[in-house]
Amino acid sequence: MIAMDLMHHSSCFLLPTIPLQRRPSLTYALLVLNQNLPRFTPLLWNHAQLHLCADGGANRLYDEMPLFFPQEDASDVRRRYKPDVIKGDMDSIRREVLEFYASLGTEIVDKSHDQDTTDLHKCVTYIRDSASGLDKSNLCVLVVGALGGRFDQEMGNLNVICRFSSMRIVLLSNDSLIHLLPRTYCHEIHIQTSVEGPHCGLIPIGTPSKSSTTTGLQWDLNNTAMEFGGLVSTSNIVKEEKVTVQSDCDLLWTISIKKL
Amino acid sequence: MPLFFPQEDASDVRRRYKPDVIKGDMDSIRREVLEFYASLGTEIVDKSHDQDTTDLHKCVTYIRDSASGLDKSNLCVLVVGALGGRFDQEMGNLNVICRFSSMRIVLLSNDSLIHLLPRTYCHEIHIQTSVEGPHCGLIPIGTPSKSSTTTGLQWDLNNTAMEFGGLVSTSNIVKEEKVTVQSDCDLLWTISIKKL
Repeated sequence: MIAMDLMHHSSCFLLPTIPLQRRPSLTYALLVLNQNLPRFTPLLWNHAQLHLCADGGANRLYDEMPLFFPQEDASDVRRRYKPDVIKGDMDSIRREVLEFYASLGTEIVDKSHDQDTTDLHKCVTYIRDSASGLDKSNLCVLVVGALGGRFDQEMGNLNVICRFSSMRIVLLSNDSLIHLLPRTYCHEIHIQTSVEGPHCGLIPIGTPSKSSTTTGLQWDLNNTAMEFGGLVSTSNIVKEEKVTVQSDCDLLWTISIKKL
Repeated sequence: MPLFFPQEDASDVRRRYKPDVIKGDMDSIRREVLEFYASLGTEIVDKSHDQDTTDLHKCVTYIRDSASGLDKSNLCVLVVGALGGRFDQEMGNLNVICRFSSMRIVLLSNDSLIHLLPRTYCHEIHIQTSVEGPHCGLIPIGTPSKSSTTTGLQWDLNNTAMEFGGLVSTSNIVKEEKVTVQSDCDLLWTISIKKL
């Protein structure tokens, strides 16, 4: 086995409170894109230091956050869940939503002249380069709304996490979470069994893998080759609380999120 | 199915839209649903012993190998329900269309359709503008493409390399009623479906 640095992964952000760990804790940024909000969005919001909406994601926040708190006044909920930044093309956000958040102090960053990158790409770049007051040394970007909807957009969003392979970016939906396992590390994934699993997969999304090795899965890989058109590890099952993965190419790790 | 015909009696709708075959693991189908269709003559093919392939894989194999009375010389399999839901299952379903690359298999959702463009052909895609477009994409799923060339798109490719981690053609726009694609590797073609 090649000696490589270890990269640890844990879906602590899905837990009500994030437990203290020996490793330095992560700073979370939450990015809301333009799909229905997953049911755990308020939980992610509470863990995040920075809250960003990409364009139409602001509509989702405005329309759907109050639905999670039906007992409360909608305006109170909207004020409490106010994004720090709204960024993007601004071709989807409704005028009254933009004005509402702008009046509350949300920073509006209009990038309508840049048509070459997706909203997710723009926002990840912004978080990486510009976001002030954010401890970026151990940053993890949580993204809701990147999956489902138009398939070409979903693939464009997967490509963003492949391109920003040195950043921790987690795509979340009601059903699944996805993040990259860069090939330059051995990976330890600490499974939070109260909120995720057991269904999982390892996806050689862009390049055939000549050799991947895992522990902790029902169908472990053992120097196994994977590629689209051949073997892709899907409908696998997490068997242990720690899963390890090592591969010669970047893989997408995906695990199901429990419906509680 | 009855929800699409709210004016009609649900049982009438269910009888009219009776499947010819129900196939798979049988770990999700409700007992009363299975009994209802079985009593109407639907063939039930229970493959619960084969855990190594997905339901989509089993069904495509069945269509290719077993389905009698079907003219398979010019067959196209239309699939609904393969997208959305669990991401690993969606990827497994994409892999099925990659593995059965000699078959026409189209995955459909409310928002998009997807099918494979095998590298062994030049492709002409005739756009039905009343129902699809304009958003489209070409996805080098699983293998980097050293060279792809298109016509008919807003951002055409011209011997252009594509790969995950680099350029992937998404949020493209169909500009003409005929799109052509040629590539050194299998690409997924995807186009948006209009909400009418």
